[in-house]
Amino acid sequence: MRTAGSMRIRVVAIAALIALVLTVRGHTLSAQQPQYVVGYSANPVPTDPLSTAWDSVPAIEVPLIPQAGVTPALLTPSIASVTVQAIHDDAHIAFRMVWADPTRDVEAGRPDVFRDAAAIQFPVAAGVPSICMGAAGQISNIWHWKADWQEDIDAGFQDITRLYPHFFKDYYPFVEGEPPYSFPDDFSQPDARAYSPGWAVGNALSQPMREWPIENLIASGFGTLTTHEQAAIEGRGVWENGTWSVVFIRELTPAAADLATFQEAGELATAFAVWNGSNEEVGARKQLSSFVTFGIEAPPVTPDEPVGEAPASRDTTLIVVLALLGAFVVAITLATIVVGRNAPPAPRDGGTGA
Amino acid sequence: MPTVFNWQINREMEYPYEAALPERQFSAVFDLNKCIGCQTCTFSCKGGWTSGRGQEYMFWNNVETKPYGFYPMAWDARLLDMLGPQTWDGDTYTGKTIFEAAPPGRAALGFLPDEEDWAYPNIGEDEPNGIVSDGAYLQIPHPVWHFYLPRICNHCQFPACLAACPRKAIYKRPEDGIVLVDQQRCRGYRECMRACPYKKIMYNPVTRVSEKCIGCFPRVENGQQTLCVANCIGRIRMNGWIHTPDTADPENPVDFLVHVRKVALPLYPQFGLQMNIYYIPPVHVPPRYLRQMLGPGVERAIETYRQVHDDPDLLGVLVLSGATDRWINKFLVRDGQAIGFDESGAEIVRVPLKEPAFIRAFHDAERGVFRHNIT
Ligand code: SF4
Ligand code: SF4
Repeated sequence: MRTAGSMRIRVVAIAALIALVLTVRGHTLSAQQPQYVVGYSANPVPTDPLSTAWDSVPAIEVPLIPQAGVTPALLTPSIASVTVQAIHDDAHIAFRMVWADPTRDVEAGRPDVFRDAAAIQFPVAAGVPSICMGAAGQISNIWHWKADWQEDIDAGFQDITRLYPHFFKDYYPFVEGEPPYSFPDDFSQPDARAYSPGWAVGNALSQPMREWPIENLIASGFGTLTTHEQAAIEGRGVWENGTWSVVFIRELTPAAADLATFQEAGELATAFAVWNGSNEEVGARKQLSSFVTFGIEAPPVTPDEPVGEAPASRDTTLIVVLALLGAFVVAITLATIVVGRNAPPAPRDGGTGA
Repeated sequence: MPTVFNWQINREMEYPYEAALPERQFSAVFDLNKCIGCQTCTFSCKGGWTSGRGQEYMFWNNVETKPYGFYPMAWDARLLDMLGPQTWDGDTYTGKTIFEAAPPGRAALGFLPDEEDWAYPNIGEDEPNGIVSDGAYLQIPHPVWHFYLPRICNHCQFPACLAACPRKAIYKRPEDGIVLVDQQRCRGYRECMRACPYKKIMYNPVTRVSEKCIGCFPRVENGQQTLCVANCIGRIRMNGWIHTPDTADPENPVDFLVHVRKVALPLYPQFGLQMNIYYIPPVHVPPRYLRQMLGPGVERAIETYRQVHDDPDLLGVLVLSGATDRWINKFLVRDGQAIGFDESGAEIVRVPLKEPAFIRAFHDAERGVFRHNIT
């Protein structure tokens, strides 16, 4: 067994690393001041990762560091940062991650080929930062977008006949149809499906039919990542000119108690991770960010709400004061982002050893 | 990192987990002198377990011709090269195991084979070690040699696949020591594939998770030997429960071959996995080559094996090999017969040490012909 002691040392090392990065970037996890406020939009959140609607959404550039706290570690990172935006329409919240990756790795079939991927991690209880993948008794909710799932959805399931166009095999147990057969259609009888063990036992990675390219997961520490049964995360990823743009969308209200909660008053310590398949990045071999705290802007009060006896002039004064306050918060946030951008880059080698 | 005792290298070594011996350990002995390279084992396994979509390239059991056969390509040559000098002091290994030689950020020294490395499962078939020169004729010892090496997962005591999996999706069953990949937990990271020195983890391109030899556990649970063992044409294979040297049971056929007579040896013990498939070395192959592959016990094993005609117990175990598809727990040699018993002590098989032979005259006077085959 990996001793509890050595695990604790690793966790402490990672915490120290994250603290270092946060200090370098000039941020602290303050309870008062989120680093990014998710603005309210009267229009529905944009679902297209390349929609021009994203142009007006504030962006924060999040530096990434290679994961080196646990084995297997990533020692040769390939992606330095990811640009993050978020917006909500009071029903849904949308995040967009944009990062440069010259290679479009949308396959995970060949034994030596790995997919591109991206993930967002939220603590399940608002305001409580969890170290990396959560800890015992401290659940994290992770949304994991996979380029091969995206390709399955966009261009059809990447069956063996797609990977190897001249592939031919004449017989499979309990198969229907004609060779070279089509997967999963000709293999859907339970007896045939038993020969695809991952599919038969319900492993999310092995399901040939998918609606969305994002897996909803929970974790409470390294190695505990588990697919969550409920609540699809909708979204889409597009690669264009050496850049991935990926949108993640979920209803603001969580479908289960162990999923991320987005409260207007609260603040979420959120982390981001990116994998570059060409660099054999998979699992723990990834680039990850330190925590970025997110706040949620409240939607405006609806006009039909009962208004008190107060004279109109007092209302106006209140709005002006609120607007000034809002502008101040935005200015502080922007300044924080600028400081973050100009700060020296995060240490590249992680410095924690493995 | 914890240290564990690995009896195959006769010393303590580093391993990411504490030693946890199963209640009993799945094992087998393969006699390389008898393998004819027919691949019946390969296809009995394939038909049984890997005929699904995405499993086409998988051979959980494969048979390769040594020295130039590999599946996947150069699996052992590459790792031996990466590991550097592998020195022994008597029975104690003084080089590094793959765990001790792990590069930074990894659990073990290893490599991920390229896609193409899996594409030639029978490369090097029947190729001898050297050129057969003009005018060559049969000599003893043979001027050139080759032999067949059948391989399955070794259900190691210290599996590298398990050590490398960050999700703990690989587990070793406490009831029989069989090593399995949990098909629900695996996320297809392929750390196991990179770490297993025997390259017996295979990635399914359709389900996008890893699979491996399951030790025919549904058969083993029912007292049957595995498909590859039970179907072996050359009768080279025998399953059994293996013990550590200090707890060896001389009536247990596998313990007898490995610990008592010491004719069966682990494959590349220097990798440090305390693997559980044992090989009787082929007597016609130069020990210099075999020492690298089967460790320092090779000469002793060959010498003992050559004396089998004067060793009824050894002969008894060898003739029981392939004589039944039931799992033999104990054996006994009495009155020129070898008897195998199951777990409950009931007799399941009885084989004569010497098959009755009839010798016919070279010349058949009645038909006026000479016989080519007189037995
Ligand atoms: S041979 Fe390889 S796959 Fe089998 S138990 Fe050993 S390390 Fe794991
Ligand atoms: S079935 Fe037996 S004899 Fe034939 S290749 Fe396999 S191990 Fe060798």
